[in-house]
Amino acid sequence: MEEILEKFETALIAGNADASADLADAIVAAGQATADEIFAHLSNAMEEVGSRYQTGEYFIPEMLRSAEAVEKAMAVLEPYLFESRHEQAGVVVMGTVRGDIHNIGKNIIVSALRAAGYEVHDLGVNVSTEKFVNKVRETGAGLLLLSAFTTSTKPALLDVMAALEAEGLRGSVKVVSGGASHSEKFAREVGVDGFATDVKSTLAVCRRLTGRDGDRR
Amino acid sequence: MNSRERFLAVLAGEMPDRVPIVPVVDGFFAPKVIGRANDDCFADGACLAEALTAAQLKFAYDGAVAEMGLGPDPNVLGCPVEIEGNDVPLVVETIVGGREDLEKLAMPDPWAGGKMEPVQRLVEAAAGGYAVLGSVRSPFEYAATVRGLIEFMTDFYRDPGLVRDLIEAVRPATMAVGRAFIKAGVDALVVKDSFASSSMISPEHYREFAFPSGREAIAELAEEIPVILHICRNSMPILKDMARTGAAALEIDSPVDLAAAKSAVGGKVALKGNIDAVSVIEKGGIAAVEAAVKAAIGAAGKGGGFILSSGDSIPLSAPEENIAALVEYGRKYGSY
Ligand code: B12
Repeated sequence: MEEILEKFETALIAGNADASADLADAIVAAGQATADEIFAHLSNAMEEVGSRYQTGEYFIPEMLRSAEAVEKAMAVLEPYLFESRHEQAGVVVMGTVRGDIHNIGKNIIVSALRAAGYEVHDLGVNVSTEKFVNKVRETGAGLLLLSAFTTSTKPALLDVMAALEAEGLRGSVKVVSGGASHSEKFAREVGVDGFATDVKSTLAVCRRLTGRDGDRR
Repeated sequence: MNSRERFLAVLAGEMPDRVPIVPVVDGFFAPKVIGRANDDCFADGACLAEALTAAQLKFAYDGAVAEMGLGPDPNVLGCPVEIEGNDVPLVVETIVGGREDLEKLAMPDPWAGGKMEPVQRLVEAAAGGYAVLGSVRSPFEYAATVRGLIEFMTDFYRDPGLVRDLIEAVRPATMAVGRAFIKAGVDALVVKDSFASSSMISPEHYREFAFPSGREAIAELAEEIPVILHICRNSMPILKDMARTGAAALEIDSPVDLAAAKSAVGGKVALKGNIDAVSVIEKGGIAAVEAAVKAAIGAAGKGGGFILSSGDSIPLSAPEENIAALVEYGRKYGSY
């Protein structure tokens, strides 16, 4: 089984969507792997893709290619995963804040979170405060991830934070922000619970904030 | 030498009296100079022309960027665009969902609806005293815009044939808009190929998809007017290819080391750049601008072939003092 899972991870990293879907089929057919094992390989793959981007080995099309392979594999695996999984990693609402239309990095993170077993509600780009707040309330999400790529988005981020507070949701949802404009200082000024700038650190922050720090393979 | 002559001298490979200064002050920034919001000037060509003219008058740089209205058609071939207040215009919908939509692409008529009016007005206002630059998307950039960047770049592996066919299909748009600018009387054309950047796609993909159509378009336009090729962020790995497109100058962004660029392609093309529009011009102080200008001229000014500029469009929230400082220190350090 481990061999198929390794091949699966390799296919995801190479962004081979057809092979990823075929291997996913094989995993389901064999019926031996646990959901946790599968998610570990999926998220390892996205972390590896993220680090290849960081080192300049991969560019954006290569990341998108892997994200697509993940989506294709997930379509095959989903019924199996949610049958066999005892507990899901968490519910996430994510989107790019108002006035900002950068969505590549957001989409990569969405795929990585799905690959890590989160249920992700992706609201898209240029998302209003109201939409974020409503979705958090509706889904009972424990995590809200805000992408903000230009520094002019600070008022939009502050607006979301204020609205969560006003609606009494701030206690139940952890907010994480990220994107090209981010520095620790920026995140602190906005008052979010965490921030990150790449796939690996994003997954780590999410694990930490959902109290699943030890939950690693 | 007046401003226009100085700028054109560099594009012609001749020695100017000092480094020309042409920062990218476009429709994202200029409306502020006349106290208007961006959405005011979005559909109003007179407002845009007034803003671009006033900005040049205020800062006295050597060349101004003309735009045909920030608005929709033909800039984005019919994709719906929205703008609110001072936000950047957002393309809210793309129009090519797949191969079947290629036939439906209607090529723009740049002259329809008074779109070229701001350009003509700016040319008139400049009256040969300073240069006017037109700005047009490359076929590659048009293709990415009408398809949506994510789908477009996913197609690189999923359906490379569609990428090529789409680029071919939109090439007439680059040509039509470029020619309209030429007819309106601009002095040079900036062909924007932002997504061809090595910060986004590999040099191999650049050579496969962006370079061939870009070179054809540029070579054709360059028969009539000097062309400047703009590629955002890092373009170092593809600089030599860019220099082979027929462009008279390359507009390079802050991640590129100017001295390295000059030694790589300085014998072939002029360079325009590359003060960081965000960290220096938007966020830095006057001292940071001075240091950056001095370093840039030191790295690339020697022997001519250099136009001092921001690396990319100057953001709306940049302080006016910083643009003034760019021009002032450009004059101070740029004399030959
Ligand atoms: C592609 C791009 C665009 C495309 C976007 C297309 C699209 N569909 O997304 C277009 C051309 C439309 C665009 C427009 C603009 N852009 Co732009 N753009 C970029 C560019 C070159 C690459 C972004 C990208 O996709 N990177 C690849 C992805 C994978 O990386 P990423 O986005 O950083 O995402 C990673 C992390 O940030 C993180 N992450 C992302 N989201 C989240 C969320 C959370 C919660 C967490 C934890 C982590 C996380 O994980 C991701 C995976 O590693 C960057 C330059 C850069 N170096 O980032 C500029 C950049 C982001 N843009 C910038 C600017 C200024 C603009 C414009 C204002 C320019 C203009 N004057 O027109 C407009 C703004 C439009 C708007 N209102 O949003 C600036 C922002 C500067 C600033 N600090 O304010 C940048 C940094 C370039 C620069 N000048 O330095 N842009």
